[in-house]
Amino acid sequence: MAFRGRGRGRGGFGGGGFRAAKQEPFELYPELEDLGTAEYSTRNLQLIKWYSNLQKYWNSSPYYYEGGSERTRNVQKPDVERLSDKNSQVANAKPPLWHFIKLDIDHVPAELARGDKKEKLGSKRVRWNPESAGMHKLDLFEKLEQKHQGQEGKENKENEDQEEDDERNEEEAEEEFSDEGDYEQNEYFDDDEDDYNMADDNDDEPFF
Amino acid sequence: MVSQYGIKLATYLISASYGDFCSKVCECLLSRGTLTLMQIIRFTELSRENVVNCLRVLIHQNCVQAFSIQQEVAFGEAPKIVTQYMALFDNVIHKMRFPKFMQIVSEELGLDCLGIFEGLLQHGRLSLNQIIDRNKQTPDNSDVHVVQESFSILLNARLVERCPAPEPFLAPSSEEETPAKRRGTKSAKIAEAPKTIEQRALAEATPMESIRFLMEIDPLTGASEEKGMETHNVATLDEKWKQDFSDAELSASGRKKEILWRVNFEEFVRRLRHKACIEYVRIRLGDQSGIVLSAILELTRSSETTIKTDKSASLSINDIYDEVIKKDGGLGMDLERIRASLVQLGCQIPTTGIDETYSIDLKKIIELAQNEEVESVVLKRYGREAYRIFRLLSKSGSLLETDKISDTTFVEKKDTLKILYKLWKDGYLHMEKVSVNGPKQTLFLLWEINKESLWVRVLDEMYHAALNLRLRITYELDQEKEILQLPKEKLIGELEKRYKRLGKVRIILESSLMNLDGALMLFHDF
Repeated sequence: MAFRGRGRGRGGFGGGGFRAAKQEPFELYPELEDLGTAEYSTRNLQLIKWYSNLQKYWNSSPYYYEGGSERTRNVQKPDVERLSDKNSQVANAKPPLWHFIKLDIDHVPAELARGDKKEKLGSKRVRWNPESAGMHKLDLFEKLEQKHQGQEGKENKENEDQEEDDERNEEEAEEEFSDEGDYEQNEYFDDDEDDYNMADDNDDEPFF
Repeated sequence: MVSQYGIKLATYLISASYGDFCSKVCECLLSRGTLTLMQIIRFTELSRENVVNCLRVLIHQNCVQAFSIQQEVAFGEAPKIVTQYMALFDNVIHKMRFPKFMQIVSEELGLDCLGIFEGLLQHGRLSLNQIIDRNKQTPDNSDVHVVQESFSILLNARLVERCPAPEPFLAPSSEEETPAKRRGTKSAKIAEAPKTIEQRALAEATPMESIRFLMEIDPLTGASEEKGMETHNVATLDEKWKQDFSDAELSASGRKKEILWRVNFEEFVRRLRHKACIEYVRIRLGDQSGIVLSAILELTRSSETTIKTDKSASLSINDIYDEVIKKDGGLGMDLERIRASLVQLGCQIPTTGIDETYSIDLKKIIELAQNEEVESVVLKRYGREAYRIFRLLSKSGSLLETDKISDTTFVEKKDTLKILYKLWKDGYLHMEKVSVNGPKQTLFLLWEINKESLWVRVLDEMYHAALNLRLRITYELDQEKEILQLPKEKLIGELEKRYKRLGKVRIILESSLMNLDGALMLFHDF
């Protein structure tokens, strides 16, 4: 019996030296058992919307810092330069930081401060709203939300209105952000808000 | 120092909101502590221009505080003054709960105040003129007077405060200075631990209580700061508002300096703490006790000086009664019922009827809530028997021997040992070995719960969970980003299903995150 065991051992050792590891596809989120189901409730819907809006604002604001002079040097030039591109890029670039942050010595530490050459800033120059179209969409959403609280009779008419609004907003959005290639992040959900809104009106499930 | 996953979560929040450069700077400050500008540049390996701009953004968004300090130099050299930067971890994590703050403002003060408040959250710091200008560019812009009045309301409710000083100078303190020598602590029975430099910087930067919520100083008299404090608190609007210098004050050099305002996080945390206490009491002790507690807390809120107050201020039974009947559902309560609720809340009815005052032990309520939270985690992860054992150890507060635990909780000795070992391995328990030299040498194992270290571990796990949730939300949105960019008409059939699924998934994940955030605050801020 001992010999048998030893023989097996030797056989096992000799045969199982170094086989290639079995390649398994890497799953970032594999299925786990016994986790239970999560609770779905729309109690916090307003909170989620607010958070989403804040994130969007920060991502589109000059606070989302992407490096100073490096950025401007690496601007992608489209294959065929058009005159309209140049104009729209200038108009849609993010406002500089000092429009919003007071960089004088009273408000920031001395070594971060900047001279007060540009202190006098007319209030009209500072753009507090990065996308007036965006705000417009939000308002639409709010109005639509008030109208369609469980009224299915008006659904057809709403569909037409929404599609028109949607197209119009999308055009505006495209114009505004066509040259924002550098500033666009992966998760720039400018349009998704609208899509969610529209879905909200068609179904009873509220989306945002 | 902040725990490992706390740093990771904070870094992720900054990166999602303000970009990778800012998050590098923030991570550097959180993991290495307070640094100077040159040190930050060296450690992050970013260019000076980038670091400077990131610091500007982070300070403006209240995530970093600067202060200047006298550096020790070699003998004979003139003393050098350097500026150091510290990360404000709490404020970074608060970004996750900005919507909860907005909810408080919206429910209590209305939409006009909410508009201003949202601006303060977006920009971190704004002057009154900036608030007015910003409001002009919103679609539903209101009259200047409405804006000023809304701002005034926010200020009176203490939800908005003056920004701290940008670069306070910390006079070199003698290390020999004992706590007893500091003002105000002579009567302290327990010696306070000497303040760290960061605590001193924050204390130095905070504006004095008397001007923290004070709007204006009389510009006509050109009063200095001291005189300004004597003028009455301005709540009335008058012609002064129309002047450009309505919210200016004289800076040290005599120039007019615009005051910047920011959200008063302390007040919001206090309100959320009260909400959590009331909710806990309502669930555990019933609606009536909840109403009584909320009445008491509302009356005593303005007298709380720190966030983590142990006991509420004392109130007489009549004051409590007056407030209770004003609340929903409180109308039918009489003095006897209120007294009964107070007993439930842990108060003792005084025997002499002359001075009937009560104060609630808030610390106890928070502790009970924390215990429940940890016990439910143990129940979910390790099972019912482990839950019983954990509760026993948690209540006893001292070292218990394995057999004793097994007898008291009616768990088999073998299983007890297994469970205790598992809990100990995961850091929930503290173990001590005692060997007794008798006829046979026996080894006893003693177990206990070390609350401080356990709470730190639980908090770190929660940060980890919150980070995972945020990453998962981003991942799910990223997976479906093509769908999100499609116009609505094209969303039919398969695409529509995916779209709806995405909506549900997002709501579930974000709601879970909000709930988890409540637990985070319970262990960190309350």
